[in-house]
Amino acid sequence: MKPRHVGRIGVYTFLAFAALFFLAPLYIMVVTSLKSMDEIRLGQLFALPQHFNLDAWRTAWSEACTGVDCGGVRVGFWNSVAIVVPSTVLPIGIGALNGYALSFWKPRGADALFAVLMLGAFIPVQVMIYPLVKVVAAIGLFSSLPGIVLVHIVFSMPVMTLLFRNYYAAVPAELFKAARIDGGGFWRIFVQLMLPMSTPMLIVAAIMQITGVWNDYVLGLVFAGRDNLPMTVQLNNVINTTTGERLYNVNMAATILTSMVPLAVYFVSGRWFVRGIAAGAVKG
Amino acid sequence: MNPPRSASGASPPGGQRQWPGKAGSTAFAGWRRILRGLVPWGALLPMALTVLVAYLGATLWSLRVSMSSARTFPSDDFVGLAQYERLFDNERWQLSLQNLALYGVLFIVATVVIGFLLAVFIDQKVKGEGALRTVFLYPYAMSFVATGLVWQWVLNPGSGLQQAVRQMGWPDFTFDWIIDQDKVIYTVVIASVWQASGLVMALMLAGLRGIDDELWKAARIDGIPTWRVYLSIVLPMMGPTLATVFVLLFTGVVKVFDAVVAMTQGGPGTASDVPAKFIMDHLFGRANLALASAGAIVLLLTVLALVAPILYARSRGRSA
Amino acid sequence: MMWARKIGLITATLALAGAALAQKPPAPSGPKAEVIHWWTSGGESAAVKTLSDAYRAAGGQWQDMAVALGEQARSVTINRMVGGNPPTAAQFNTSRQFFDVVEQGLLNNMDEVAARDGWDKFLPEAVLSVIKVKGHYYAAPVSIHMPTWIWYSKAAFAKAGIAAEPKSMDELFAALDKLKGAGLVPLAHGGQAWQDNIVFAAVLANVGGRDLYLKVLRDRDAKAIQGEAFKNVLLTFKRLQGYVDKASPGRNWNDATAMLITGKAGVQFMGDWAKGEFTLAGQQPGRDFGCIAGFGPSSLYIIQGDVFVFPKTSHPDSLKAQKLLASVITAPATQVAFSNKKGSIPIRTDVDASKLDLCAQQGLAIMKDKNRQIGNGEVYMTPDQNGALADILTAYWNRNIPVEKIQKQIAEALK
Repeated sequence: MKPRHVGRIGVYTFLAFAALFFLAPLYIMVVTSLKSMDEIRLGQLFALPQHFNLDAWRTAWSEACTGVDCGGVRVGFWNSVAIVVPSTVLPIGIGALNGYALSFWKPRGADALFAVLMLGAFIPVQVMIYPLVKVVAAIGLFSSLPGIVLVHIVFSMPVMTLLFRNYYAAVPAELFKAARIDGGGFWRIFVQLMLPMSTPMLIVAAIMQITGVWNDYVLGLVFAGRDNLPMTVQLNNVINTTTGERLYNVNMAATILTSMVPLAVYFVSGRWFVRGIAAGAVKG
Repeated sequence: MNPPRSASGASPPGGQRQWPGKAGSTAFAGWRRILRGLVPWGALLPMALTVLVAYLGATLWSLRVSMSSARTFPSDDFVGLAQYERLFDNERWQLSLQNLALYGVLFIVATVVIGFLLAVFIDQKVKGEGALRTVFLYPYAMSFVATGLVWQWVLNPGSGLQQAVRQMGWPDFTFDWIIDQDKVIYTVVIASVWQASGLVMALMLAGLRGIDDELWKAARIDGIPTWRVYLSIVLPMMGPTLATVFVLLFTGVVKVFDAVVAMTQGGPGTASDVPAKFIMDHLFGRANLALASAGAIVLLLTVLALVAPILYARSRGRSA
Repeated sequence: MMWARKIGLITATLALAGAALAQKPPAPSGPKAEVIHWWTSGGESAAVKTLSDAYRAAGGQWQDMAVALGEQARSVTINRMVGGNPPTAAQFNTSRQFFDVVEQGLLNNMDEVAARDGWDKFLPEAVLSVIKVKGHYYAAPVSIHMPTWIWYSKAAFAKAGIAAEPKSMDELFAALDKLKGAGLVPLAHGGQAWQDNIVFAAVLANVGGRDLYLKVLRDRDAKAIQGEAFKNVLLTFKRLQGYVDKASPGRNWNDATAMLITGKAGVQFMGDWAKGEFTLAGQQPGRDFGCIAGFGPSSLYIIQGDVFVFPKTSHPDSLKAQKLLASVITAPATQVAFSNKKGSIPIRTDVDASKLDLCAQQGLAIMKDKNRQIGNGEVYMTPDQNGALADILTAYWNRNIPVEKIQKQIAEALK
C-alpha cells in the first residue's frame, strides 16, 4: 500500500501549495479591506489589520459615492441580475444548438461559417462597438434591456458554440446514428438525447457565461441605457478614478462584494461535476 | 428511447410501420427531404446572421475605416495604406507585438500545464473537492481592475514580496521584475496565469469526467502505472477539450488588455504594451479611429496567418 | 423537460422582479438634464453635488450618469450620440477633444447664454480659445486645474534640514540632494505616462519659459524643438529621474502622495487635485505640506480643466435644460462651492476668494495676471499629437536614449 500513500501525500502537497499561491491575493484583499487608510498608507501589505474595521464594507455596499448618487454598489445589483439571466440562458441554448448542428448534422458550408465566427472572437470588443451601436440603434434597441441581451448573445456566440461543438465531437457517433435509425428528427434528438447528456458542459458554459456577463463593463455601459446599468458600472466608479482620492479598503470590499454572485454559482455548481454521464448513455 | 415512430411523427395503429413519404408522390417526398435538410440550417440562422452582420460586417467596416484618416468619427476619404505604414513605423506597436508573442507562449503553456495538473489532482477523490475547486476558480470571478492592483502591490519591490521576504531575514532577496523593462511582461504572465488556470482546470475536469469509468478499471487490471494512463490514453482522449482550451486561451491572449492596464499601465514607459492596449489608446484617448482599426486588422491577419496552416492541415487530414 | 421549464420560470420571474425594482417613482417637473461625467471618487462626488444642488435650486432636475475615467466617459458620450440617445450634457476636458464632435454638427451652441452672461469678459484666453469654435460657444467651462504644482512635505524638509521653500530650479535640486542625504526619497513619483508628462510640463514651464513653451507645444516649431534651449529642458527633465526611488514605475499618484503624507518622501510634481489626498489624511496646507505653483514672480499657471458640452437635440425641454445648466455652472457662487470641494480654482477671477484654501487662493491670484496664463498640451495639440509626445517622453524618462534622438523624434511626431 506504500506507493498509494506516497501518491496521496504528493497529491495533497501539490494542492496545498497551489491553494496558497491562489489564495495569497485574496488574503491581501481581505486584509486591506479591514484596515483604515492610515494603515494602508504605511505599505505593509501582508500585515494583519490593527483594528478590525468593517466600515469599508458598509461603505462599499450602500454608501460609497459614485457621482451625485451615493448608494454604493448595491444600486445595480438587480439590474445585473436582469441582464445576466437572459444573457446566460439564451447564449447557452443557442451555443448548444449550434454545436449540435455543426457536430452531427454538418450542413454544407456551416464549417466555413463557424471558422469566420471563431475569427470574430479575436477582435477586441471595443473595436466593434461603433458599428454595433449603429446596427442596434437601427433596430431600435439601443439603450434598452433587450438591446444589451442581444449584444451579449452576439459576443458570446463564438465561445459558446466552440464549447459545445467540441464537446459533442467527443460523443460517440454510434449514439447519434442509433437515434436517427430509431426515427429521431433534428429537434427530438437534440432535446431528448443530447441536452441531457451535456450537463457537465452546460455547467462549465454557465460558469463562463455568468462570470463573463456579470463582470462585463463596457457593453453594459454603452448599450444598456441609464436605467439598466449593471453593478460593474458602480464598481468601476468606486474603484477607478484619474485624479480623485483612492480608498483602497473600500475598493477591495467592493470588488469582493461584486464577485459574490459568480462565486456562489461556482460553489453551487459542484454537484454537477459528476462522472460518467456520457459513459452511462453509451452503455444504455 | 421511445418506441419507433414513423417519420411524420404520427403513431401507427396496430404497430405497423407507415411511411407517408413513400406512399405519396415522389415530388412530395423530394420536397419533404429538402425541407428536412433545411432544418439544421434553420437552427443555425442566428449564428449565420451574427456572423454576417456583426462579425463580417464589423471587420469589413474596420478595414474601410483603416484606409481613411478617421479621427473620432469615420470619414469618407481614402488614404490607402498610409495608416499601415504609420503603424509599422511605430516603435510602440512593434514592441507590443513582440510582447504579445512572448506573453502568449508563456501564458498558454503555463495555464494548460497548471490547469491540467490541478484537474488531475482534484479528480483523485480528494476531500474538500468543492472548496478546492472554488479556491482555484475564484480569481476568474473577480474584476481584474482590483486584483491586478493587488498583484502590482505584491510584485512591487518597495512594498510587496521583496520587502516582505527581506524583512523575514533574507536581506539580499530581489524580485523586481515589474520595474525592469525586459522582465515586466513576465509579471503580467504570472498574474494572468493566476486568473485563468482555474477556468482551464474546470474545463479539463469536465473533459476528464466524461471518460468512462471502465477505462480506469481496465487500466488497473492491466497493471499500467497511473501516470502512463494519463499521458498515453487520457490526454489523447481529451483532444476536443484541449482544442477548446487552446482556442479560448488564444483568444484571451490576443485580446489581453485588463491585466496590463491594471498592473503596469503598459509601463515602465511602454515596455509592457500589448496590441489591444495600443488599439484602445488610439481609439479613445488619441481619437485616432483609423490607426486603431489598422491595428485591429493587422492583429486579425496575424491570427489568421497562425491559424490557417492548422485548419488546412486538419481539413486535409479529414479528407484523407 | 422539467429543468428547462424550471429555468424558464426562474428567468421570467427574475426578469420581472428586476424590471419592477428598476422602475422609478414618477419624477417631479422642471427641465431634466442627464449629465455624463467622470467625477466618481468621494471628493469629486461632493464637488459634482454642488453643481447638481445649484441646478436643482434653479428649478431643474439633475439625472446623474457617472462613468469612471475620462476616456471611458467620453467614449460613452460619443457612442450615445451616434446611437441617437445623447445625454443632455457631457463632460470633456478643456481641450480639442470635442472639436471632431463640433465638426460633425452634433453639438448645440450656447451663444445665447454666453452673450447674456458675458463669458468673453471673465474667461481666460486659454479657455476661450477652446470653447469658442468658429465664433460659436460650444462648451461651458466648469473648472480650472493646474497640473504642475510642486508639493513638499514639511516633515521631510525639516528632517533634511531644508529651511526655506526652494525658489528656483537650482534650489530645488539642492533640496533634493539634501533629502537624498537624509535617507529620504527625494522625489515621490508614480511611473505612469501621464505623470511623467506632468513633470515634463513643469520643467518646460519653469526652465523653458513662456516663449519656448508656446513655440514647442502650440506652434510645434521644429527649429525650437531641435534647439539648445529645449535640449536643456529635456536634460533637466531626465536629471530629475535620478531622484526617484526604484519602485516608482506603475505606482498610482495617490501612493506617491502617501509617501509625502507619511514623511517618507520630500517632493512631488502633481496637480492641485493632490490636495484631496492630503485633506483625507487630515493634513493642512502651510502646516503639514507646502504648495509651489512655480518658480519666479512670472511663473506660468498651466490651465487644464473641465467643460460641459451640450449634444444636439431638438427637444425644446432639453434645450431649456442645457441653457439653464450652462448658466448655473458658470455662476460665481456655484464656482466657489465647486472649486472648494474639487481642489480646482474657479473659471472666473471675480469671485469671493476667502472661502478657498491657501493654495487655491495663490492660484487665483496668479490667474489674475493674463501673461501668466497658459494652456496645457491638450489645449494646443490634438489628442493624437499629445499622445505621441507622451509616448516619447515616457520612453526617455525610463530608458537611456541620447537627447538629440529624442528631440528628433518629438519634431517628427509633432510635424
